[in-house]
Amino acid sequence: MSDLIKKVTALLNDKTINAFIGYEKGSADRIRAIFARTEDQAQKLVLNAFCTQNLAGYLMKHEVKKLGKLGILANVAALRSIMQLASEFQIKDGEVYVLFANADGSLTEFTDFKSIETFLQTTDTGIKSEEQEMIAKLESMTVNERWLFWNKEFEKCIKCYACRAACPMCYCHRCTTDVNQPQWIPVASHELGNLDYHLMRAMHLAGRCVNCGECATACPMDIPLNLLTYQLINPIKATFGATAGMKADAMYALSTYKPDDKENFII
Amino acid sequence: MSRIGVFVCHCGENISATVNCEKVAKVTGELKGVEFSTDYKYMCSDPGQTLLKEAIKEHKLDGVVVAACSPRMHEPTFRKACAEAGLNPFLCEMSNIREHCSWVHPKDDLTTEKAQDLVRVMVEKVKKNKALNSIKVPVTKTALVIGGGIAGIQAALDIANCGHKVIMVERLPSIGGHMSQLSETFPTLDCSQCILTPRMVEVAQHPNITLHTYSEVESVDGFIGNFTVKIRKKSKSLDEHLCTGCGLCTTKCPQKKIPNEFERGLGMRPAIYVPFPQAVPNKPVIDREHCTYYIKGKCKVCEIVCPTKAIRFDQEDEVIDVAVGAIVMATGFDVLKTDYFPEYGYGKYADVIDGLAFERLASASGPTQGEIRRPSDGQIPKKIVFVACAGSRDPAKGIEYCSKICCMYTAKHAMLYKHKVHDGIPYVFYMDIRAGGKNYEEFVRRTIVDDETQYIRGRVSTIYEKNGKLIVKGADTLMGAQPVEIEADMVVLATAGVANHGAEELAQTVHISYDPYKFFAEAHPKLKPVETNTAGIFLAGACQAPKDIPESVAAASGAAVKVAALFSNDELTRDPLVAVVNRSAPPVYSQCVGCFLCQSVCPYQAIEREEIKNRNGEVIKTLARVNEGLCQGCGTCVALCRTKAIDIHGYSNQQVYTEIMALLND
Repeated sequence: MSDLIKKVTALLNDKTINAFIGYEKGSADRIRAIFARTEDQAQKLVLNAFCTQNLAGYLMKHEVKKLGKLGILANVAALRSIMQLASEFQIKDGEVYVLFANADGSLTEFTDFKSIETFLQTTDTGIKSEEQEMIAKLESMTVNERWLFWNKEFEKCIKCYACRAACPMCYCHRCTTDVNQPQWIPVASHELGNLDYHLMRAMHLAGRCVNCGECATACPMDIPLNLLTYQLINPIKATFGATAGMKADAMYALSTYKPDDKENFII
Repeated sequence: MSRIGVFVCHCGENISATVNCEKVAKVTGELKGVEFSTDYKYMCSDPGQTLLKEAIKEHKLDGVVVAACSPRMHEPTFRKACAEAGLNPFLCEMSNIREHCSWVHPKDDLTTEKAQDLVRVMVEKVKKNKALNSIKVPVTKTALVIGGGIAGIQAALDIANCGHKVIMVERLPSIGGHMSQLSETFPTLDCSQCILTPRMVEVAQHPNITLHTYSEVESVDGFIGNFTVKIRKKSKSLDEHLCTGCGLCTTKCPQKKIPNEFERGLGMRPAIYVPFPQAVPNKPVIDREHCTYYIKGKCKVCEIVCPTKAIRFDQEDEVIDVAVGAIVMATGFDVLKTDYFPEYGYGKYADVIDGLAFERLASASGPTQGEIRRPSDGQIPKKIVFVACAGSRDPAKGIEYCSKICCMYTAKHAMLYKHKVHDGIPYVFYMDIRAGGKNYEEFVRRTIVDDETQYIRGRVSTIYEKNGKLIVKGADTLMGAQPVEIEADMVVLATAGVANHGAEELAQTVHISYDPYKFFAEAHPKLKPVETNTAGIFLAGACQAPKDIPESVAAASGAAVKVAALFSNDELTRDPLVAVVNRSAPPVYSQCVGCFLCQSVCPYQAIEREEIKNRNGEVIKTLARVNEGLCQGCGTCVALCRTKAIDIHGYSNQQVYTEIMALLND
């Protein structure tokens, strides 16, 4: 019996938590999320190199929330998601029990936001090097080339909204896409509808994206959606010194004003 | 199905000269949902309004579009008319076919078509309008006056005499402002302090006025009628109730070599001091920056000599919250600093002084007891040069405006000098003599003719010291720009009046706008000179622009009347065009997810947190709620809301969208 199973079983037994979000073996060699509520279900928990999904998105799902007090197996992206959600008043301090899986397989417990913040300060939270290269490539394009690149990518979109469902920051009860009085975003998956949707998504994630990459992973059409939101990370850091998901009480860079904010973007 | 009425106004010929109003009425009358349409020469006239009212009743209209001028002009007129005819006033909209159409286009079919489009847009909007009720908010009948100079004093006294409470905040240890530094005032030469100090005392003794000196405004929240203000009362290191103002401490203080700000550095003061003998309140403060005890940790001479044991070294700043309904800004002005005038040697040569310093020299209570003696060696100057426009009207110094008061006070200085030094020769370098004002020109004439002042039209290029004299080099432009060189004993610069230090920060704290020179901006340069763009905040005196005493007093009284008018009602009625967070059926309760992005972005602190609880009192959800009293309907929250849970009454997303679609789907 692994340390993880022992730990979660103990947590469930002493009612510290009512459910634990972790990974289990799915069909074939796939890994999927499990919401362990009993000792038997906890036995199914696994932890291996394939367990990379950011599970924090589930914390915001209505069906999961009603299970009671939650525990979660977190990776770095999930820790940052939790911090960002906390800064948006979606999770209160101490509300979620967090187990972090270290690289050597050992577990670190986090019971409050402060300890997560401290941990993140000395942790590599950056974008992966291969993704950095892609961003650099995009940024080296002319505006027109980039426009064509994205339009070509968006052509593939079938508006399944898997990106939205996978994103830990897309927790609205009703997405702008679903508002029809007025209809802001055309529903159909045609050129304009797709462009509108993805631009809206990118703007709604500007300064909030924790670069977990779940959107791109979820996309059945292999659109590199993560690059769209990643590209907004650097300008916001450079302009306002803000990085999403690092502090539980952070003020959102795009809605707050400081007298010493740079104003170089104002023409 | 809507029953909308369209009323097209000719505005005399303002509209009908380029727009075919009959055609606009006819074409828009055929739009779906339009029950009635007509055109009339002056819709805003009495017969025009009667026409509108009759049509509402006769055709049972449930929406009205008046195609006329700007809604800023006549929307209240037509909404009132609708209300009189029994229609909710917020079902009436205006389509601006004057400023947006007839005035900016030539007579053409296209112009008429544009007018039709503008009306059509509004017809579609009105279909989505909802009946709204006005919001009533209570008024706190206390005014805050920031600044205790002559403008603040006048405003405070006028408001207090109307029977309302006034809180006055002054940054310095005494009220009085710049006027208390002046010697005599133009054009009548009455003693400045003699006319000011009774007013200062009146402020201190007025039962309706609470005075906070040595205090600053830290924050202002709220809105017209309901401001909450935080005031920092800086520690005076003194128990004011025990202090009798005997002044023993100020005479015994061993630290006596601090340049006296009130005397413009021409005299010295101790670390525990009263700024000037007639100060109100006449109780000392300890200047902690220079006090030996605060620097070295020992001394306490004042504490030892104080007969009432009033000194409190450990006293801390006190921050108080006050609720006020209106604010009068009366923070005054400052004069240009020395570093602006390297070519005049100001700050380098002791005998090059500014106008305020000359006031102190000429003042009977000043460092020389009113004798004109130059600062360097105490000699009586026999030749004195006054330089008007030192900085003012000089783009090179960054000040393009005229400081307005300098021509007059320079004439006064020359006159006072001549009255005191009969054999002295005063010279004035000037650009133009601007003496507009009652008895002002006559006053300047007296200086020139009776007091034999040498007026030289031209500017001074440089001033330097040679053999104990100040060599003033300039040009006389009335003599063909002939070079002029004067060996003067003393030079007085009429330095430009500039915004007081900290004006910009204060404007941001109070949330009012200011001009590029950091003077506070009025709402309208002609018709709203004492109002700011922030409702409930008014301007008095030289914080708005350089002003002389009569002007400052007049503006202060004007601001006071505005405050009194505001306080004449118990409630303010506001348009209900405010933001609202939507509600929906359980278990969602509202589309709001409580991210409170709106709260961080709201400039009026109008977003509150609302908890939805179940029957057991457990919180199910926390949502945003808009405080209707605070919301100004700016719509920033609407733009930021990702889930579109906030909307603005009267300008909903749906309405604006409908307007755009009406244009696009032509």
